[in-house]
Amino acid sequence: MPGGREEVGGRGHSADNARLFENYEVRPEFYDEMFDSAGAPRAHCRKLYETLNRMPAEDIAAMQELAERSFLHQGITFAVYGEEGAQERIIPIDFLPRLIAAAEWDFIERGLKQRLKALNLFLADVYGPGRILSDGVAPLDLVRGCPQYRIEMRGVEAPHGVYVALCGTDLVRTTEGFKVLEDNLRVPSGVSYMLANRRALKGSLRGVFRRHRVRGIGHYGQLLRKTLEELAPQDVSDPCIVLLTPGVHNAAFYEHMFLAQEMGVELVQGSDLVVHKGFVHMRTTAGLKRVDVIYRRIDDDFIDPLAFRADSQIGAPGLFYAYRLGNVTLANAPGTGVADDKSVYAYVPDMIRYYLGEEPLLANVETHLCRDPEALAYTLDNLDKLVVKMVGESGGYGMLVGPHATPEERNDYAGEIRRNPSNFIAQPTLDLSVSPCLSEGGAAPRHVDLRPFVLRGRKTRLAPGAFCRVALTPGSLVVNSSQGGGGKDLWVLSE
Amino acid sequence: MLARNASGLYWIGRYLERARHGCRLLRDQLATMEDRPVEQIADSWRRLYMAAGRSPVGGHMESTGDEEDFMAADAYTLADDLTFAHHNPDSIRNCVAAARENARQIRNVIGSDMWSCLNVTHLDLRDVEIQAIWAAQPGDFFARAEDSIRAFWGIAESAMYRDGGWHFLVLGRFLERAQLLGALVEAHIAVFPSSRRDSEWEWRSLLAVCEAHFAYRHLYPLEHRPDRILDFLVADARLAHSLRHSLLMIAESLEGVSGSQARQAEVARRVRRMAGWIDGDWPRREPNDDEAACAALARLRQSCRQLHEDIAAAFFSSEIQDQGGRT
Repeated sequence: MPGGREEVGGRGHSADNARLFENYEVRPEFYDEMFDSAGAPRAHCRKLYETLNRMPAEDIAAMQELAERSFLHQGITFAVYGEEGAQERIIPIDFLPRLIAAAEWDFIERGLKQRLKALNLFLADVYGPGRILSDGVAPLDLVRGCPQYRIEMRGVEAPHGVYVALCGTDLVRTTEGFKVLEDNLRVPSGVSYMLANRRALKGSLRGVFRRHRVRGIGHYGQLLRKTLEELAPQDVSDPCIVLLTPGVHNAAFYEHMFLAQEMGVELVQGSDLVVHKGFVHMRTTAGLKRVDVIYRRIDDDFIDPLAFRADSQIGAPGLFYAYRLGNVTLANAPGTGVADDKSVYAYVPDMIRYYLGEEPLLANVETHLCRDPEALAYTLDNLDKLVVKMVGESGGYGMLVGPHATPEERNDYAGEIRRNPSNFIAQPTLDLSVSPCLSEGGAAPRHVDLRPFVLRGRKTRLAPGAFCRVALTPGSLVVNSSQGGGGKDLWVLSE
Repeated sequence: MLARNASGLYWIGRYLERARHGCRLLRDQLATMEDRPVEQIADSWRRLYMAAGRSPVGGHMESTGDEEDFMAADAYTLADDLTFAHHNPDSIRNCVAAARENARQIRNVIGSDMWSCLNVTHLDLRDVEIQAIWAAQPGDFFARAEDSIRAFWGIAESAMYRDGGWHFLVLGRFLERAQLLGALVEAHIAVFPSSRRDSEWEWRSLLAVCEAHFAYRHLYPLEHRPDRILDFLVADARLAHSLRHSLLMIAESLEGVSGSQARQAEVARRVRRMAGWIDGDWPRREPNDDEAACAALARLRQSCRQLHEDIAAAFFSSEIQDQGGRT
């Protein structure tokens, strides 16, 4: 139990009625989202602490189990690809919410909007005049040599200058404050789990939301639709919007379906689309119907076999041609991956200063680019302290968590780094914050991050919530759902 | 509506009707086994397999040795084949899985209640094997599975907006029903011809499978005449499982989705022709002329197959035509 329990209400607990926080241990080396270092609940968490602590732990565990069963019945799943093919799995939900105080959220919101604005300006620049490269703020060879840089996008202006309409930024909190771990600017996923987790908790903890003044996130679908409408080609007043999915075998198919439903738009596959005379149409029972905006959840490589990978079976031939003509909007635009590349990431603070003349509100994680000989030497000397990532990988794959790796694993990985240093970046092992999660013996601290979703049309919008990812294994820092992570609801408080 | 969504809904309707029909047949078959002579039970299985267009497992249903033991073992194998067999595309489990897979791809157009109902039905069937249901009350198992499918239709009827999506779902359901009923009645006549004296119970069972026994008893309380039962199942539009009613529903659904395209108008014309045969030609055949009845049913089934092709061509594939501005 936290050291401060007796001070909060001073309630004693009967021995035969297990309370949630009875065995909770506050570890001062990590920022605890609910308790301060003395073990007392933080001011904005006090009410929730009292509410939860009145409930027997087994009641909350039963609610959690019920919610997970309901996820299975509703098919709120993602696909994991292994030796036995794809398996549908639920993302385990942890029933204890994480709270963010109003002032903290205000700071995060301003920081994210600032960041997305700069990233869009960066994309317009590197596919346009390339000022940031000629001014030497970002290295030309790094940007143009990035595998995600699309030469096909040179000279293409995105509608209203918006290349990234949707962004899911991974934020972590350390003892030093919030930091951006990664900008996901291609096809960020996870927003449906943010909404599913909220629905699950609202269904079980009735009355609690109102008492805690939790800000709503149920309007996310409307915000997304509004954003996409604003990005329609200029001569279109009532745009036809569709969501383009790779299909039912994609890991995030549930989310694609869910978002199409929330927005009230058609969920299409590449085979549903036909490009004719520079316009995109979808096949309907009444013939072809013109499409104006495509929220695409297919990677650049696969959206159009005529422009990108010729072997793509899931794209629509001619789509990129229609896009270049300005007859259809793609959200996000092709080529946005150059701005969320793990190496280019290191230059985002400089981009903010360069384009906006402002200091970044949200800090980056200190990043060493192994393409630089000094950084390479430092990385190899400190492998046991660093997290090393491959620049082209995501989802927690291809990563070495130095302190948790064996000497053999570190040796093997060092060999990989030496073979192709440019492919690696190194970051310090972060002291990710912890939040109480339900475990067998009541609540226990587990590491968490958060992924808020920022939308940019003519205005920038942000639903007050995030997909909060949890490393469910004690001590683990890996929160990715494909690697055994789970999710929990994140409450942004209105005061 | 998106052609792929329309196709998905149509196939959900078809697969669920096929699964429901299978549940109904097996429930009836298991009831038959309680008190019918062994030969009659074997004939009922033959009818069932003939209607399904399949060969029984092992290719024969000959009995040797102890009849009671033989029939129990035989029924176990056959019920497994029709309910759970992975290699049987029309097994109840496979049909529900196929309906669910179609639904999974178009969940955004069917709503969460319909999806959950179908998903739970699928999960329940996925995790059970014949041993488990045989050890308890197999009849109850099929009744529960049928109820789950009916629950899906109940939600659909109460919640779905009556646009193209609804009409394609209903279209698939009733086209499948028409085909299944045609095949079952044809197989029934082949195994239990009108002239066969010992088959009154089997004609009653045919009514039960078609959920028509209650209505039939109400109209004709004292007799189970084969020609009257046939007329009832084929031509009485007020009976929800009759062929004529299915055609009525198909026509209504098509009216709800058809536009100005010539191919779509042709589909509606085919349905009107089929209805015309039932209203005009069917009553003119001689009572108990099994051959004429089978020929008429075969012609209707063939037309149903063609109707399916026509629907697919008219609604589920869009080709580039002249693009004069926005459509």
